[in-house]
Amino acid sequence: MSDYDAIVVGSGAGGGVAAAVLAEAGKSVLLLERGRALSFEQVGRDHLRNQRLAIYGHNAGPDIEGNPRTLDPASFPMPVGERQGEHRILRPHEPGYQNNAACVGSGTRVYAGQAWRFMPQDFRMASEYGVPAGSSLADWPIGYEDLLPYYERIEWEIGVCGDHRSMTHLPAYARPYPMPALPLPHKSSVHRRGLDALGWQGLRVPRLINSLPYNGRPACINCQHCVGYACPVDAKNGSHNTTIPRALESGNCSLRTEVMVERLMCSVGGAVTGVEIITADGSRESISADVVVLSCGAVETARLLLNSATAQEPGGIGNGSDQVGRHLQGHYYPGAVGLFPEQLYDGVGPGASLATCEFNHGNEGLIGGGMLTDEDIVTPITFWKRDYPPDVPRWGPAAKQFMRENFCRINDIKGPVQEIPNPDARVQVNPAVRDRYGIPVAHLSGTSHPETVRTASFMRERAIEWLRASGAIAVWGRKPQQYLSGGQHQAGTCRMGEDPAHSVVDNFCRVHSQSNLFVADGSPHVTNGGFNPVETIMALAWRTSEHIVANW
Amino acid sequence: MSALFDENQLRCLEAVLDTLIPPDDYPGAWQAGVGDYLLRQLTGDLAHLQTSYRAFLRCLDAEAQYLHQCDFADLANDERSDLLHRIEKNRLETNWPIEPGAFFAQVVEHCGEGFYSDPGNGGNREGIAWQMIGFEVRG
Ligand SMILES: Cc1cc2nc3c(=O)[nH]c(=O)nc-3n(C[C@H](O)[C@H](O)[C@H](O)COP(=O)(O)OP(=O)(O)OC[C@H]3O[C@@H](n4cnc5c(N)ncnc54)[C@H](O)[C@@H]3O)c2cc1C
Ligand code: SF4
Repeated sequence: MSDYDAIVVGSGAGGGVAAAVLAEAGKSVLLLERGRALSFEQVGRDHLRNQRLAIYGHNAGPDIEGNPRTLDPASFPMPVGERQGEHRILRPHEPGYQNNAACVGSGTRVYAGQAWRFMPQDFRMASEYGVPAGSSLADWPIGYEDLLPYYERIEWEIGVCGDHRSMTHLPAYARPYPMPALPLPHKSSVHRRGLDALGWQGLRVPRLINSLPYNGRPACINCQHCVGYACPVDAKNGSHNTTIPRALESGNCSLRTEVMVERLMCSVGGAVTGVEIITADGSRESISADVVVLSCGAVETARLLLNSATAQEPGGIGNGSDQVGRHLQGHYYPGAVGLFPEQLYDGVGPGASLATCEFNHGNEGLIGGGMLTDEDIVTPITFWKRDYPPDVPRWGPAAKQFMRENFCRINDIKGPVQEIPNPDARVQVNPAVRDRYGIPVAHLSGTSHPETVRTASFMRERAIEWLRASGAIAVWGRKPQQYLSGGQHQAGTCRMGEDPAHSVVDNFCRVHSQSNLFVADGSPHVTNGGFNPVETIMALAWRTSEHIVANW
Repeated sequence: MSALFDENQLRCLEAVLDTLIPPDDYPGAWQAGVGDYLLRQLTGDLAHLQTSYRAFLRCLDAEAQYLHQCDFADLANDERSDLLHRIEKNRLETNWPIEPGAFFAQVVEHCGEGFYSDPGNGGNREGIAWQMIGFEVRG
């Protein structure tokens, strides 16, 4: 008799869904999270330490001490972290670490909730475009139609606002969004002008945000601290206020925080029997379950599998074909900043107003593409650090004058690029470096595929074109370089596929070598779309969890 | 007074920060609290830079003495700017134990952080920098 029917490791986007679906189906569930549950006040509004601008720390975990990773210096264009032998050792808020978050809800606690479905073509990239040399581009074993019912569930049950009629890049919606799109900020009229001049189709950014009171919580009050911060009125829909409360209210789920899963326990016959955990005070426990679901995010799920090596699977659980941790990807986010003659800023959050999917596919000579949208509200210091024009003095009267005259006349346009995966962009474990619990840390190496950089460069040009057509009088921004991508949109490290020789999980996200071990986070994504990934992560987790229940 | 800097060094620091973000009809860096931001950071995230900051301020005065026979804080505004431009380009007359241009670039960053980040960090007193640029926090 096991302690629980199911253990879910990680309480982020995927883990929240898994806990809710399993618990509501009557399974006893233990949801384990290494981070803490964070109140609005604990997340705070520190402009120098948040998940958007993390100069000296961040606000949604992991703690910056005791959670290092190591990085191959060749993976990053600048010297980040500290040198240690051949590697660089990084703290979680430093560039190159590939952090998302670690708290109840993980990134969904502080995201801006852009809620995109992937396009049908995104699931069959290899068939659409062929496989470029050096890449591991492949089709998903499932398609848009398989996820469609789950996209709809996420939109209705977790709560998405938007205008389904504007989503003309997708097959027609059978069900509208449950809430209308958020009010448009003033700057949308400027960006609309650009779209019209170029003849590009514009659409409303769908969001996991209440535009009307929904699910017992109020509507967005359009504050100025959406992305990177917690919502002051609880109108942003993340795991912490949707799926996890549902799981807990079912009476079948317990949540334990500040618990680090160290390794999986396995029987000899190809089944997991539970997990070994370390609690905040350093004590160890073994907890058994009939099913284990890994939802640690793409880097940490791979790390946990690799750290769970057994005599039967000496290279790590599910790693018989040396696939665990490979194909790490995220999103290049190319774009440009534009200066306009008129005031754009009106303080209406979250901020992004219009998007275009003109360039997600069908770009001559390119593989895929990406969505573009204008930017959410940028805090003054983020603007000053990240978006300041390179040819304006950074100090003296001219610098002060520039900020004073132009902060409200600036906006950037950017978007996620569909990355072309390669097997060398990968997560391994580094036994020479341990975290605060004594567990070998994740080691990151490899870099992006050149096709990704090429597409990113093309998308940056399109952003510039849109800014200019909207009336920008000056445009600037860095050109994309080659580096290892992952970060907040990390995915791909436990690739989904039918053939165990080339994948880690099957088409219901079960680890091939284990009868009762599933992955419900960004890791199974074969490719990551040209869109922010969270709605797809949630939809896939829902499908996986329903499958687990149906086949119990 | 602070435990980190003596009176001369503080005077020099104020002059540097006010050259980076000078007062006009809106406060300059010092009046907006950037000094408070920095003093706090130098016992926190930037504690490893205490010695370098002291060296920087000392050398800046030495450089001013060499060129103008007075402390940096006693220079006219345009002389201060000129001197900082020379430092930015590592064009120096005296010996510096730290790389002046690279360190100066960090000082510029810290000054911007204190001025434009949230008042909770010790600078941007009463949100004055946000008022100046039009960033209003309503919710
Ligand atoms: C500021 C910000 C803005 C974002 N905006 C958007 C957006 O607008 N749209 C969008 O689509 N996406 C957005 N994202 C990304 C989104 O949050 C992620 O794609 C999503 O959370 C990933 O889901 P996941 O289930 O793969 O992993 P996560 O949500 O990261 O969950 C993993 C959880 O597992 C825990 N964990 C890991 N290892 C262990 C262990 N060994 N033991 C116990 N617990 C463990 C972690 O602490 C973490 O809480 C944003 C992210 C951030 C930070
Ligand atoms: S804009 Fe502000 S109020 Fe609206 S959802 Fe985002 S955080 Fe909440």
